[in-house]
Amino acid sequence: MSAQKDCDFLVKRARDLVSEDPCAAKAWLITARTLYPTDFNIQYEMYTIERNAEKTTSAGRLLYDMFINFPDQPVVWREITVITAALRSDCQDKQAQFLRGLFETLPGPVQCEMLLKATEQCFNTLEKAEMLLLLLRRFPESVVQHGVNLGESLLEAEAAEKLETPVNCFRKLFVCDVLPLIIKNMDMRLPTSLLQKYMLKAAEFYIGYVTRGPSADGQLQGKALNGSTHEGGGLKSPGVPRGSQRCVIEGLSEKSSVVSEPWERLLDILAVVGTRCEWQGDKGQRGFVEILQRVKELCRYLSNLEGETRLRYCSQVVICASLVLFRSAYLYSPPCVCGCVWVCVCGCVRTYLNIVGASGVNALASGPWILLEDLSSVYMEAELERGAGKHTHKKRKLADGREKTMSSDDEEGFGKGRGRHILVNKTELPGWAETLESFRLARESWELLHSHSCLETEFSKICASWKTDSWLWFRIFLTDMIIYQGQYRKALSSLLQMAVFQHTQSGLNSPGQSNLEHQRTLIQQASCHYALGEYRMACEKVLEVVGGLVPQSHDPVKNTEDQGKAKGKPKKGNDLRLLPCTNKSILPFCLQLMLACFKLRAFTESRDDLSLGHVVVLLQHDWPQGESMFLKAIDKICQQGSFQYENFFNYVTNIDMLEEFAYLRTTEGGRVQLELLPNQGMLIKNPSPSPGGELNTLLLPGVQTPDRHHTVTRGITKGVKEDFRLAMERQVSRCGENLYTVLHRFCINEKIMIIQSLP
Amino acid sequence: MMGDMRQSLLRRDALSAAKEVLYHLDIYLSGQVQNSPSPSVDTPTLELVEEFILHRRMSALQELQLLEIMCSCFQEQSRDAVRQLIFSALFTLQGNQADESRMALLGKLVSMAIAVGRVPILECAATWLQRSHTVYCVRLASGLVDDYCSLLPGSMVPTLNNISSSSPQFCCQFITAVTTLYDLSTEELSPPVELLQMVVSWIQDDPRLVLVTLLNTPASSSQPMGSLDLTPLAGLVCWCVKSPLAYRRDRKQGLSNGMPDTKPEAGPLFSALHLSVLQVLLLLPGVLREKGLLGRLALMQPEQLTSLISDLSRLLEELNPLQGDTQTHTQLTLERLAQALQVAMAAGALLCSREDLRALCSHLPHNNLLQLVLSGPVQQSAFYPHVNTPPLGYSPRPLGPHLSAHSPHPTSRSPHPSSYPSYPSQPFIAGMAFPFRPSH
Repeated sequence: MSAQKDCDFLVKRARDLVSEDPCAAKAWLITARTLYPTDFNIQYEMYTIERNAEKTTSAGRLLYDMFINFPDQPVVWREITVITAALRSDCQDKQAQFLRGLFETLPGPVQCEMLLKATEQCFNTLEKAEMLLLLLRRFPESVVQHGVNLGESLLEAEAAEKLETPVNCFRKLFVCDVLPLIIKNMDMRLPTSLLQKYMLKAAEFYIGYVTRGPSADGQLQGKALNGSTHEGGGLKSPGVPRGSQRCVIEGLSEKSSVVSEPWERLLDILAVVGTRCEWQGDKGQRGFVEILQRVKELCRYLSNLEGETRLRYCSQVVICASLVLFRSAYLYSPPCVCGCVWVCVCGCVRTYLNIVGASGVNALASGPWILLEDLSSVYMEAELERGAGKHTHKKRKLADGREKTMSSDDEEGFGKGRGRHILVNKTELPGWAETLESFRLARESWELLHSHSCLETEFSKICASWKTDSWLWFRIFLTDMIIYQGQYRKALSSLLQMAVFQHTQSGLNSPGQSNLEHQRTLIQQASCHYALGEYRMACEKVLEVVGGLVPQSHDPVKNTEDQGKAKGKPKKGNDLRLLPCTNKSILPFCLQLMLACFKLRAFTESRDDLSLGHVVVLLQHDWPQGESMFLKAIDKICQQGSFQYENFFNYVTNIDMLEEFAYLRTTEGGRVQLELLPNQGMLIKNPSPSPGGELNTLLLPGVQTPDRHHTVTRGITKGVKEDFRLAMERQVSRCGENLYTVLHRFCINEKIMIIQSLP
Repeated sequence: MMGDMRQSLLRRDALSAAKEVLYHLDIYLSGQVQNSPSPSVDTPTLELVEEFILHRRMSALQELQLLEIMCSCFQEQSRDAVRQLIFSALFTLQGNQADESRMALLGKLVSMAIAVGRVPILECAATWLQRSHTVYCVRLASGLVDDYCSLLPGSMVPTLNNISSSSPQFCCQFITAVTTLYDLSTEELSPPVELLQMVVSWIQDDPRLVLVTLLNTPASSSQPMGSLDLTPLAGLVCWCVKSPLAYRRDRKQGLSNGMPDTKPEAGPLFSALHLSVLQVLLLLPGVLREKGLLGRLALMQPEQLTSLISDLSRLLEELNPLQGDTQTHTQLTLERLAQALQVAMAAGALLCSREDLRALCSHLPHNNLLQLVLSGPVQQSAFYPHVNTPPLGYSPRPLGPHLSAHSPHPTSRSPHPSSYPSYPSQPFIAGMAFPFRPSH
C-alpha cells in the first residue's frame, strides 16, 4: 500500500517535471526504478517520456524491459498492438515511422517473440495473417514452422467466407506474400501435388487480378466478375469516375491492393514451382513465348511416356500452356471488357497506348476491336465473278456450297482456318502486331491443350474450377478463334450465348457500354452469317447495328493503304480483318457487307432492279472504289434497256452517278428507259413542288401507291421528262449533303425493303 | 660511456643537445624493452634528461622547436612500451628541483598535443595522470583549462570535442582531475561554463567515457597513494549536488556586478550532467561484476560523502534563507543528493547502509525524496516473482527506521535549529509506521 504511494509520488514528480526539465524527470525515474524495480508504472513512465521524445533507441530498450518483465500488462500489449499495426500499415507519417524504427531496435528474438505473441492475440484471420507475415519475412527460419499453416489458414478463410472472386484479400496475401516465402524456402519439403495446387491458386489470382474490372467488387456474382466491366470503352462519359477507389481489394489498404507486374510475379512463381517439381526444360529461359515453345517440344514425347513421368510431363504442359493461353487471350481480347485501370497497372503497353493515344484524338478509337470477314475486296469480286460468272443457278450453288463447307464439317473448317490472313489497319490499331501475336499464341496454346486427351482432361478441370465460362474476355477470344477456324455455325451459337450473357448484365452497365458490346456481337453475327452465305440474316443483323449508330457529321476517312493492298493482292475472300469497334469503322463495314450481299443478286442474269439499285446506292460509299462495279451496273442497265428504282433520287447524290444516269436517257446513252421517281403521278399533280417540304413527303417510305406500276410504265411523257430533269437538277444541288447521313437514312428507312429483297 | 656522452652534449647548443638526449632515450629504452624483463630508466639517464632537457635555458623559439621534436618523437615511436618509458623518463616526478621545469614542459607538451591532436602523447599523459599525485594532476589540468578556457576562449569546444573519441583515456583522467580541482567551494573553484559544457557533451556522447580508466585498470592493481580517483564519479556527483547552491551564489554576485550574462546557463547543463551520472552509475554493476569487484570497490568513498555533506551544510548556511528561491534550490540540491545516493547504492558504487546514510544526513533539511531514500523502499510482496532484472546491486535494506536506534529524529537537527527557520519541521508522531515517509 505504502509502496504504491511511494511509486505514485515518484511518477507524479517526474510527470510534473518532464516539460520543464526532462533530464530531471528522467533522473527521478531512474532513482524510482532502483527503489522499486518491479513497479510497472515507473518503467512505463520512463518509456512514455522516451517515446514522446521519439528517442528510438532508449524507448526500444525500455519497451524490451517491459516486454520481458511485465508480459501480462495490458498497457504493454496495447503498445505492442500499436507498433505491430504500424509495421503492417503503409502509413508514412512520423509516428508510424518512429514506431517501426522502435521495433527495429529490438533484438531479433524479442521481435520474433513479440510478433508471435501478438499473433496469438489476434482473432481476425486477416490481421493474424498479416502479423505472421511480418514474422515470416523477418525470420525466414520461422517459415518452416508457420509457412504452410498460414497459407492453408488463408485458403480456408477464403473458402469459409464463400468469396466468389479469387481477387480477395486472403488470396492476395496467400499468393503475393506467403507463397513466395514458402516455395523459396529450400528447407521445406513440399509435395508436388501441393505445389501444383498452390501454383494454380496463384495463376487464378493473377489472371483474375489482371482481368478484373474496377467495378466488379462485391456487387457482382463471381460469374460476372471478370467479364462484366467495360470501362475504357470510351463511350463512358469522362465525368464518370475511373473508380480508383474501387480498385481496392476489400479488406486491404489501397497500397497493398496493388500488385505490380502481375504476369512477372506469376512467372517467378512458375519458375520456382517448376524447379521444385523437377519440370523439364531450360530453367534459364523466361517469357511466355519460350514457355510455350518448351512444352510444345515436351508434348512430342508425351505419348511414349508412362506412369509417374507421364503425369509429371502432363501437369507441366497443362499448367504452362494454360498460363500462356490465358495471358495471350487476355492480351488479345479488346480492352473494353477488361478493367482499363488494371490493364494500365499491369503494364500492358498495347492497351496503355490505345487508351492514352485515344484520349487526344477520338475517345472511340480506344474501343474494342472485332474480328470480321475482310470485305475490302468487295469491289473487286464483281469483276472476278463477272469474268467467271455464267448463270444464276450457278451462283446459287456457290452460296449453298459455301454454307456446307463452313458449317457441316468442323474438321474441314479447322483445316481451312489454318494460315488465314488477318488484315489490320495499322494506323487505327497501333498495337496490331502484338494483338495478332497474342492471338496466335493463344490459339497455339489452345491447340496444344487439346492435342492429347490427358491434357484436355486436366485443362478442363482447371477451366471448371476457375469458372472460365464466365470470363467474357475469354469467350471473346474463343469465339474469334472459332471464327478464325472457319466454324461459323459454332461461332454463331457462341455469340448468341454471349448476347444472352450481356443481356443479363445490361442492367449493371451504362447503356452506352452495353450498347457497344451488343453491337460488337451483332456485327460479328452478321459477319458469320455472311460467311455462311446467309445474306438475309447478315443484312438483318447489319441493319440492326446501323439502327443503333449515330451518323457522324464528318465523312469517314477512306483508307488508301487498305485499298492499295486490296488491289495489289486480289485474294479471293476468306481473309479476316481486325476492325476497331467504332462508329467510324462500323458503318463502312456495314455498307460493304450489304453491298457484298446484294451484288451477287444484282449481277445475276435474271433481272433484279431492286438489288441493282441498292448496289448503286451502296457504291457511293468509298467512291470511286466501286467505279468499275458501277460501270458494270450501267452496262447491265443498258443491256436491259430499262431500269426501275424509285428510291434513286432519295439516296443517290453522287454527281458522277447522276451524270451517268442522265446520259443513259440521251440518244447517245442508248435512250434507256429510267423510272427512278417514287410516284410520278404525284409529281404530275404537283408540277412545281418546292424543293424542300414537297420532296420530303415524297421521300417517305411506303408512299408507293397501288397504281404506281401503271403510272410508271406509261411515263415517257413530256411531263414526266420534265419531272426527271427537275429531279436531276435538284439532285445535283444535293451533292454536298453528307453521304453518310444519306446512306444511314437509306439503311433506316428502307430496312424492311432491303431485308425483304433478299431470299 | 655516459661521461663521454655528457662531454659531447655539453659542446652542443641546447636544442641539438636535447634532441640528442631524446635520440639516446629512444635507443637505450628500445634496448631495455627488448632485453630486460622489467625495463626501467637508470639514474644517469634521468640525470641527462634533467641536465640537457629540463635545466638548459632555451629561447621561446627553441622551446617550441623542442616541443615539436618531442611531438614527432612520440608520434613516430611505434612501440607503446618504449613510448611510455620515454615519457616516464622525461616526466615522472622525481621529488627534486627539476620537477617544476618538468611540470612546465609537460603542460606545454600536452597542450600542444591537444591542439594538434597527437593521440599517443595524450595516451601517455593519461597514464601519467593515473600514476602521479593528485596535486600535480590538478596542476596539469588547471594549466590546460587556462590554456583553452582563458587564453583562447571559444577554441575549447571544437578542439577538445575531437579528443573525447580519439583519446577517451585522457579525457576520463582529465575529467577526474578537473572535478578534483573545482570543488565549487568558491567562485574561483567553480568550473568555467565552457569546461562544463564540454564535459557534459563528452559524457552525453559516450557515458562509458567516465568508466574508461576503471575498465582499463586490471582488478588486481593497486592505486598509488594520493593519486586521482579511478573514476570522476564522486567529483561529478559533488558538482551536480552542489551546483544549485553554488551557482545561485555566483549569479547573485554576477548580477550585482551588473555584468550581462551571455554564457550558456549552467543550470540545464548540470541537470543533464546529473542524469548522465545516474545513467553511468547504472552501467556500473555490469562493469564491476565483470571485474569481480561488485561489492568490493567503493567508487564513492565514505570520506567523500562526509565532506560533500559538510560542504552542503556550509553552503546552506551561507544562503540567505529569506531569498525567494532559496527553498527551490535547497530542495533541488537535496533531491539530487538523494538520487545520487540511491542510485550509487543500488549500483554498488556506494558501499554503506541506509543507516549510515541516515546518520550522515541527519543535519540536512527535510526533503521528501531524501527521506524516502534514507528509509529505503517499502518491502513489497512478491508481485512479479518472475522479474529477471534487477540489474542493480542492492545493499541490504536496514530494519524499519522507527525500530533503529540511529533513526533520524527531528530533534537530532537541534544543533542548527535556527539555521532553517523557514523550514517546516516534521513532527515525529510516535506509533506511525513510517514517520518520515514523504507526505504525498
